[in-house]
Amino acid sequence: MPNRTELMSALDLLSDMNRQFATSLDIQDTLRFALRLITDHVNAEGGSVFLLEQDGHRLACRACTGPVDILGITLDAGQGIVGRSVACNEGVIVRDVSKDPDFQVVVDQKTGFVTRSILCAPMTVKDEHLGAIELVNKRSTDGLFTEADLLLLQTLAASAAMALVNARMSQALVEQERLRRELELAAAIQRNLLPEVRPAPFPVYGVNLPARTVSGDFYDFFTLDDGRIGFCLGDVSGKGMNAALLMSKTASLFRCLGKTIHEPGRLLGTLNSEISETASHGMFVTMIAGLLNPADGTVRLSNAGHEPPLLVARDGSRSSLAADAPPLGILPDNAALPEIEVALDGGSLYLFSDGVTEGTTAGGRLGRDGFEAIVTEHRSQPVGERIEHVLRLLRANVENNGDKLHDDITILAIDDRHDD
Amino acid sequence: MKHEITRQGDVTVIALGGDVDLETSPKARELLLAAVKDSRRVLVDLSGVSYIDSSGVATLVEALQTARKQRGELALAAVSESARRVFELARLDKVFTIHATVAEGLG
Repeated sequence: MPNRTELMSALDLLSDMNRQFATSLDIQDTLRFALRLITDHVNAEGGSVFLLEQDGHRLACRACTGPVDILGITLDAGQGIVGRSVACNEGVIVRDVSKDPDFQVVVDQKTGFVTRSILCAPMTVKDEHLGAIELVNKRSTDGLFTEADLLLLQTLAASAAMALVNARMSQALVEQERLRRELELAAAIQRNLLPEVRPAPFPVYGVNLPARTVSGDFYDFFTLDDGRIGFCLGDVSGKGMNAALLMSKTASLFRCLGKTIHEPGRLLGTLNSEISETASHGMFVTMIAGLLNPADGTVRLSNAGHEPPLLVARDGSRSSLAADAPPLGILPDNAALPEIEVALDGGSLYLFSDGVTEGTTAGGRLGRDGFEAIVTEHRSQPVGERIEHVLRLLRANVENNGDKLHDDITILAIDDRHDD
Repeated sequence: MKHEITRQGDVTVIALGGDVDLETSPKARELLLAAVKDSRRVLVDLSGVSYIDSSGVATLVEALQTARKQRGELALAAVSESARRVFELARLDKVFTIHATVAEGLG
């Protein structure tokens, strides 16, 4: 049994170390500091901290003190006395290593150090095995580690394990915060890919509400030198960053090629060829491209696998314009896609993503019928207000249920109205 | 998502059921890619699919593209009513060989 002085000294040491663990931001520094103190306190010749690598198959020396430097050396998990201590989650006293079959003589052979005895305690938090702290060669007369030494080392190892878990959790939070900032930046760049809203009487109006920070939907429009307006709306399969990257590529290609290729079908054929070359994981883009001639209200349109656009005539009658080609990125071909010509004749054309029709309202799924009914009922109102009726319904349900949008919502409206 | 894999002659038949969406498509992808790797003829029975989203379709597209690269075949059969709407609207009938029934697909 340790005497009172030894006990007080051990408690002082543990208190010092716990304070250090609680305040330090650099866990490697703290582990080195703690290891040096415990090695001195127990009067050992050297010590090391072995931690399990991320794959859980290897143990690597992450801190060491004493006459030889073994920092960075690795062992198979379960190998050596340290491996046994980690695997069995038990403290170990080996008074004569030459009699222990698990002793790894190879480390001594590499370093020239002579190990005689070992004291080892696992670092574990709940069921998570993190590694172990090992001390070698007690400097006392008999050179033997005691049960009291083991108890002290086990207590210290438990605190060190907790400190390590805390440090890793704070690192993960920092990393999460970094990713969040990167996503926000990506979202800002994406938003800049969308055209600015142009006030009436400009005939094209678009909205995009991403379900996540970044969006797989997009739309664009621009005026050509001859006064015609090129426009598009697309939806990339899937969600998240991979969809957003393909969205950015497709939107950029449209913006670039759309200014020189003035036939929507040929433009989509070229986009298909470009996207097919690099698309992976079966990802594809459903997309509509069109060209409006504001002078006579006619639209040339090509649809690659996208939800049929809705045409609401001046008298409120509706028709949908089905796709005649599959989505972009699936069949590697640069042939022009079929085109149709539509006379808006004082009516409006709506392009929208399935986030609109699959969105939910207080009365259930909005559906294509629901969307059609709203924009038709309010067809005498300015376009911004018509669209806002739809968004308000979809947003209200999400907000009332404390939910999030399940899919990106994108709508592009093309008006041929001269009375706004 | 439910699934069942059977071997009928030289054809691997994968029956998918329930929702094939963002959440379940990684599992569907694993099954389909393993099937097209092991078998030159794969038939996907979609009769039990209650909902398929674009992630699910992308998974089928990837399996089809992988099969073609390996000079194999992947066809769809018995597409359920709800999945059929997605395939028809997106004109995926121009991409996939679609059989009315599994028996027809095996023929």
